[in-house]
Amino acid sequence: MARINEGAERASGSAWLIATAALFVPGAGHLLLRRWGRAALMGGAVWLCFILGLVMGGHMFDLSTGQGSSPFLQVPPMIANLGSGALYLICWFLGVGFADDPQQAARATYEYGTTFLLIAGLLNYLTMLDAFDIAAGRKP
Amino acid sequence: MTLFAMLASVVFGAVAKDTTQERLLYGVKVFAEFMAIGLVLSWILYFIP
Repeated sequence: MARINEGAERASGSAWLIATAALFVPGAGHLLLRRWGRAALMGGAVWLCFILGLVMGGHMFDLSTGQGSSPFLQVPPMIANLGSGALYLICWFLGVGFADDPQQAARATYEYGTTFLLIAGLLNYLTMLDAFDIAAGRKP
Repeated sequence: MTLFAMLASVVFGAVAKDTTQERLLYGVKVFAEFMAIGLVLSWILYFIP
């Protein structure tokens, strides 16, 4: 317990900054920490997962819903999608991957793409936490 | 499924352990588990109408 508290005290402002960068741009946290291998592996996995999801025609979630269901039902998957950080925001601004298009939904890879987009966000949360732990000195 | 298992196991492996060898072994183990569970579930669902 004392060891955990000691680690918590050591989390400096730069650790939080690195975590924010890692959340916003996948892999950026490890790049700032000069952990090139980890940045390439973890950031690369998130980027690849996200791009593959978009290519497969996946759908991302926001609070709007065209099917009359509660917007609150969109919140859990939206939290997963938000993990992609800037990638999610750019797509949101450009309107890519958010359309409720029946033709897109009919694609064989639609569900796979949606899952890949969700997983990309969740993996980036893990990547961000790893970068934070390294920056805070809790991990070698 | 293979692609998904690969990407997820890379991140899981990198996050989880301390030494490079442990990370590699854990990544391979997670990948194998994803594949095995995916295949077993697929066959179970194949017989459910």
